Amino acid sequence: MIFRQLWYLIKNAGNNLWTFRGRNLISVLIIGFSFLVIGIFLALSNNLTYLGERLSNNLAISFFLEKNLKDEELEFIKSQILASELVEEVTYVSSEDAWNRFAANFPELKDILDNLNSNPFPPSYEVRLTDKILSLSAIVYFMENIKSLKGVIDFQFNQEWVEKMDSLSRIVRAIGFFFGGILILASFFIISNVVRLNVLARKNEIEILRLVGATNTYIRIPFLVEGFVLGLLGSLISLIILFIMIKVFPIFVGSSLGAAKDFFSLRPLTIEQSIWLIVGGVVIGILGSITSISRFLRI
Amino acid sequence: MIELYHIWKQYQKPHWALSDVSLEINTGDFCFITGPSGSGKTTLLRLIFREIFPNEGQILVDGINTLKIPDHRIYNLRRLMGIVFQDFRLLFHQSVFQNVAIPLHILGLSPKEIRRRVFNALRQVNLHHKMWELPQRLSYGEQQRVAIARAIVNNPKFLLADEPTGNLDPELAFEIMNIFKEINKQGATVIIGSHDRELIRYFGDKIFFLQKGKIIGKEEKR
Repeated sequence: MIFRQLWYLIKNAGNNLWTFRGRNLISVLIIGFSFLVIGIFLALSNNLTYLGERLSNNLAISFFLEKNLKDEELEFIKSQILASELVEEVTYVSSEDAWNRFAANFPELKDILDNLNSNPFPPSYEVRLTDKILSLSAIVYFMENIKSLKGVIDFQFNQEWVEKMDSLSRIVRAIGFFFGGILILASFFIISNVVRLNVLARKNEIEILRLVGATNTYIRIPFLVEGFVLGLLGSLISLIILFIMIKVFPIFVGSSLGAAKDFFSLRPLTIEQSIWLIVGGVVIGILGSITSISRFLRI
Repeated sequence: MIELYHIWKQYQKPHWALSDVSLEINTGDFCFITGPSGSGKTTLLRLIFREIFPNEGQILVDGINTLKIPDHRIYNLRRLMGIVFQDFRLLFHQSVFQNVAIPLHILGLSPKEIRRRVFNALRQVNLHHKMWELPQRLSYGEQQRVAIARAIVNNPKFLLADEPTGNLDPELAFEIMNIFKEINKQGATVIIGSHDRELIRYFGDKIFFLQKGKIIGKEEKR
């Protein structure tokens, strides 16, 4: 009996969605627009996070060593470096190799080098990290760990850049959530007003249902189903538009941005982010319905 | 049994829609509440199915104080009643069939049972041939008959009707009264608000006379 009633109410909700399609379309577009803004900021933030991570992966880390280390000490440091899963490859660069590399890269400074009495370049291990996306904190932890080993003087890594990229990505995400949050709040009120208009238009129907013996739940269900569908459609539309934007953006806008293109690219949302966006839409739709209908159930 | 004790109802000061009304309607009664327009007939009926609350007084339906029923439980009272509203209260975007079927869907009956009962109710009011029409395409009198069909479709214990024959020709009005009488014979208590003297004289077993919100007389046929 309950399933029969539920099925009838769901069918009823479907009929109502179609009957009042103009009004419902507006709700869907409002939800869609709000979630699109959040989606765009998320996609931008994803891109910056990705750039930061790529940067950190492409950068090699150099661990500078004390001169005259014994072979077993060098082996021990190498084994400690290789023990980390972050590491792809380790290359030993002797003082002479470093001297030669400098001389080759900066031939105009050869005179200065020749005037030096001794080789100022310390030997080092050059470490290339794996291609996997790594977190900055893991890299920093690894570097500090190796630096604490006996015989390691210092390390070189363009941490500042990576950190800047990381914090930029966080800022973009925060701005996204701030504006998105305001828009969601605004859309929540707009949606509950649109739903309220729906409810007002169907006040007569709610009254009739109450007067012929319907329970509050029975009256609420079609409105909740409608809120659910509107929220779902709105968030799906935002995801579809975002997907199209991600495909089209590089073609029409990307080239005009020049060097900044990489920073303003949109990177697709993760499955988790997409699911959260859809869940958000559904929750907004249902909440809008609940708040609008409550005061009409006191007849 | 429906009992009203010292009911006072005011919509706007200083006019009282009902003042100190007390009456008893026994189970199985076929009862009319009559009086001129504005005498309080509709108010009295709306109080009985608790669409509105009185300022003072007590209303008991089958011994239960309806004013103490919480809002979310009021459906228990309403399911005992079939109500014909003065303004019909039909859903104009739904067909005649769908309108009449509403109380049955609420009870969760099977589609087959719903079809059977709706068809019977519509046949009783002679509208079964317009089952799939939308109410706005029906005449005023036909819309009224749809409202009557919806009120009788789940064999209510109490049938409340506010001017149920106001828009019908005398012949159809008599037919409708006969339907009410039939439902009454099956055990339902029928309460009708009407000012149609001829119908009241012909059908009324118990008549309450209202004027300016007060009961000014009562007549009972034995």
